[in-house]
Amino acid sequence: MSKPSDLVQGTLDLLILKILALEPLHAWAIGQRLKQVSKEVLQVSDGSLYPALHKLEHEGWITAEWKQSDNNRRAKYYRLTAPGRRHLEREAANWNRLAAAISSVVKLKEA
Amino acid sequence: MGIERWVYAVRLRLRALVNRDGVEQDLDDELQDYVAHAIEDHLARGLAPAEARRRALIALGGLERRKEECRDARGLRLVDELRQDARYAVRTLAHARGFTIGAVLTLALGIGASVAVFTIVNGVLLRPLPFPDPDRLVVVWSRPSGLIGPPLGMWDRDYLTFRASDRSFEHAAAFSSYDANLLSPSEPLHVSVARVTTEFFDTLRISPAIGRGFLPGDERQADSLVVLGGDVWRRSFASDPAIVGRTVRLDGVARTVVGVMPDGLAFPRAAQAWTLQTIRYDEGRIMGMTVIGRLKPGVTREQAEADFEAFVRRQPDRREGWQAGVSPLVDLLVFDVRRPLQIFAGAVMLVLLIACANVANLLLARASGRRREIALRAALGASRPRLVRQLLTESTVLALAGGIAGVVLALWAVPALLAIAPAGRIPRTELVRVDARVLAFAVGVSLMTGVLFGLAPAIRMTRRRRAESLAPGLRRAAREPERARAVLVVAEIAIALVLLTGAGLLLQSFLRMRSVDLGLRPRNVLAMSVELPDASYTKAEQVRAFHRALLTRLGGLPSVTGATLVNWLPMGTMTLSGDYAIQSRPGEFYADKPAVSQGYFRQMGIRVLEGRDFTDQDDASHPGVAIVSRSVANVIDPAGHALGKRVAMGIRPGPDDWLTIIGIVEDVRQNGPLRPPRPALYQSYAQVSTPLLLTHVTFLVSAAADTRALAPSVRSALRSLDGTLAPVALVAMDDVVADTRATSRFHARLLGGFAVLALLLAVVGIYSVLAYSVAQRTHEIGVRMALGAERRAVVAMFLRRTLILSAAGIAVGVGAAVLTTRLLATLLFAITPTDPWTFVTGALAMLASALAAAWIPAHRATRVDPLIALRSE
Repeated sequence: MSKPSDLVQGTLDLLILKILALEPLHAWAIGQRLKQVSKEVLQVSDGSLYPALHKLEHEGWITAEWKQSDNNRRAKYYRLTAPGRRHLEREAANWNRLAAAISSVVKLKEA
Repeated sequence: MGIERWVYAVRLRLRALVNRDGVEQDLDDELQDYVAHAIEDHLARGLAPAEARRRALIALGGLERRKEECRDARGLRLVDELRQDARYAVRTLAHARGFTIGAVLTLALGIGASVAVFTIVNGVLLRPLPFPDPDRLVVVWSRPSGLIGPPLGMWDRDYLTFRASDRSFEHAAAFSSYDANLLSPSEPLHVSVARVTTEFFDTLRISPAIGRGFLPGDERQADSLVVLGGDVWRRSFASDPAIVGRTVRLDGVARTVVGVMPDGLAFPRAAQAWTLQTIRYDEGRIMGMTVIGRLKPGVTREQAEADFEAFVRRQPDRREGWQAGVSPLVDLLVFDVRRPLQIFAGAVMLVLLIACANVANLLLARASGRRREIALRAALGASRPRLVRQLLTESTVLALAGGIAGVVLALWAVPALLAIAPAGRIPRTELVRVDARVLAFAVGVSLMTGVLFGLAPAIRMTRRRRAESLAPGLRRAAREPERARAVLVVAEIAIALVLLTGAGLLLQSFLRMRSVDLGLRPRNVLAMSVELPDASYTKAEQVRAFHRALLTRLGGLPSVTGATLVNWLPMGTMTLSGDYAIQSRPGEFYADKPAVSQGYFRQMGIRVLEGRDFTDQDDASHPGVAIVSRSVANVIDPAGHALGKRVAMGIRPGPDDWLTIIGIVEDVRQNGPLRPPRPALYQSYAQVSTPLLLTHVTFLVSAAADTRALAPSVRSALRSLDGTLAPVALVAMDDVVADTRATSRFHARLLGGFAVLALLLAVVGIYSVLAYSVAQRTHEIGVRMALGAERRAVVAMFLRRTLILSAAGIAVGVGAAVLTTRLLATLLFAITPTDPWTFVTGALAMLASALAAAWIPAHRATRVDPLIALRSE
């Protein structure tokens, strides 16, 4: 299974879940939103977004529905499920712990 | 939290399976949508349309590649691979036709046999009783300990106190069964009747189809009410809706029909009429009754049992060491067959195991042929789990094919099995059919066997060796699977020997049972039992006149060589017995007391040892006479001079009651070969005057040839004398006698069949291992022979190998048989479960079969031409 190469493993899932926690979006918008909120630091390659979304959907963290967009194309909107929300909370907590640990290690080196 | 996610995941997976195109379409649409957004974005930044599109696609990194990744992420690949593997498996199997046919046939035999046996087990033991909430129905019983048999109920006087104090049951009812003549508009019928207490139908929760059941208070007119069965109503009363309130005659007694039960209710036994049982406390009379109950909600069977046990302990009299129990109602019906059925289910599983071992053997043989193929796939990047999965798919396809063939086989085998089962000995056979549970079992067993015989070969085949496998000419590698195959063959021999030993024990039992002298040997005798209703035949003289007239008619039928009668059914369930006194010896004695007319001993083939038979002269106007059986004669006079001594029925005979012994006959095993002979004291029918001893009589009609053809004329002879009577039973005595060993024969046949099947499969297994081994070692044999080895030595080499395998298998098998044959103990007769001769014979038979199976391949080895063998390198 291919993984996003330009992000720490697992972080893409976390980012997607967080963004979807705010509002249901389709894939393109998720990509745009990622760039926007991370102030262009986090570049997700367009290609890696899709497998990640499908995997999350398949695991039941997110679910999708089809809507007709204004220009008459079918667009797939993803939204967080209740289990997905709980999963996000757990993962976010984990992330924070990890980040705190790393940054303390980094500070150590500087001293 | 797991469940919610599960719902999503399962739904998605199902969709992927069912609606493949839809999923693909969605994937396509979604990516196209993305591309469109990207193009718009690029256009907005002022790029030309073509360039915008190019950049969007580049950013995505290839549409097809992304789609593939998405499919991966969705688990679609597993589905795809499964289809692909299944298709590949079917293709491969179709190619290897000989292998496939062999494997599928073997599996069909194993699976078919187990599905057939399960179908019967399911119908007889597992299917629920045809009543609402059948799990809450129980039978309540108490009896002296040490008795083995179905739970049978309790004494009527106990029932009254039990009902007065009981707290566990919502409803309870007592009943007993009898047979009666029912006069219907079309013809007199002999029906099974149940005498039941008022709550009977409420306990079962069965409501009448029309009319009503019994109500409290009905007891006051117990003898004038009847409830009819739906089957009888439909067949003999043309489903007459106006029958309620009408009068029918049951054994000559007029009874008002209060209701008709729904079709299919035939409980207890094949009851088609129910009358009321009134229970009164009666000092001089004790009657056993079956008691059923429906547990109150919330009361468990165990609680009810504890309560009832306490109740039995509280009873004032006797009861030291009595057992008491509350058992599931189904036990009442299936007690006798549960153990045998469990044993046969176990046996058939062993047959299935052997079939699996055989197919595993075939797979291993094929494995070496396919090593190159597997190695090639591995070299091209297939992972080991992937290869194992593919091989397992193949064995599952094989197993399912075998399963389908097996179910077809079972559909044919089930009626065949029931046909060889002794008539009437297996209850609930009407429930035996292929239902959803049987099909689920078939699928489950097939899948299980697929994994069972496929897993080991799959793991072995995919074991990674150094790069050797792609290279041609590998002789070494073949050795290891050969060891695996040897283990399988040893297991097969061991299992087959267990079955062979068990079957041998049952066969011995049957043979020993058959050689037991029953004391009677009827040839071409038809027995018709007739019960005269008390209501219309009140006086002994009336009864006797009827019997005489019928006897004359029967004797006059064409081709009839003799007609006689006895006041019970020989070898049947009913016996008349009681005390007797001996003039020359004080004390009380006990014996069967049949009354017979002239010719009985000759027609039944009971040897007259001394003295003479009764004659027409031995009637009420002549001195009382008696004929005694050998054991009674020994009691009367151990010195052997019983003839001429005097005996009397009853223990306080008057001066006129003494009967002179005029003959001594052989003892008869009235209760079948399993029980000791019963002492009997025969009276001359013409000298018996108690009506009770005369109402139930069996007429015995002898003919020169098969008597079954006589049945219609015998029946019509009865009808012509009294149109209201139907025979209680009309059977060939030859069948009655054969029937006493029918169960034992059935057991021997069934387990024998399984053993033969197991032996055949094991022989095929040995043969294929040896044949394969010969083929593998052609080169080696060639070298040996080129170096001067004799043919004999080559044959001996292979036979020695067979001997070693067999010896190991037999050793294991004997051990396993010692541990398992004791399960058969209750089915055996006059033989111990570890009978050494049976074990030795079984082992020798196994050894002989193994050597026979090895003979052909071993000889083929000697025909190897050294030159060709060497060149084949």
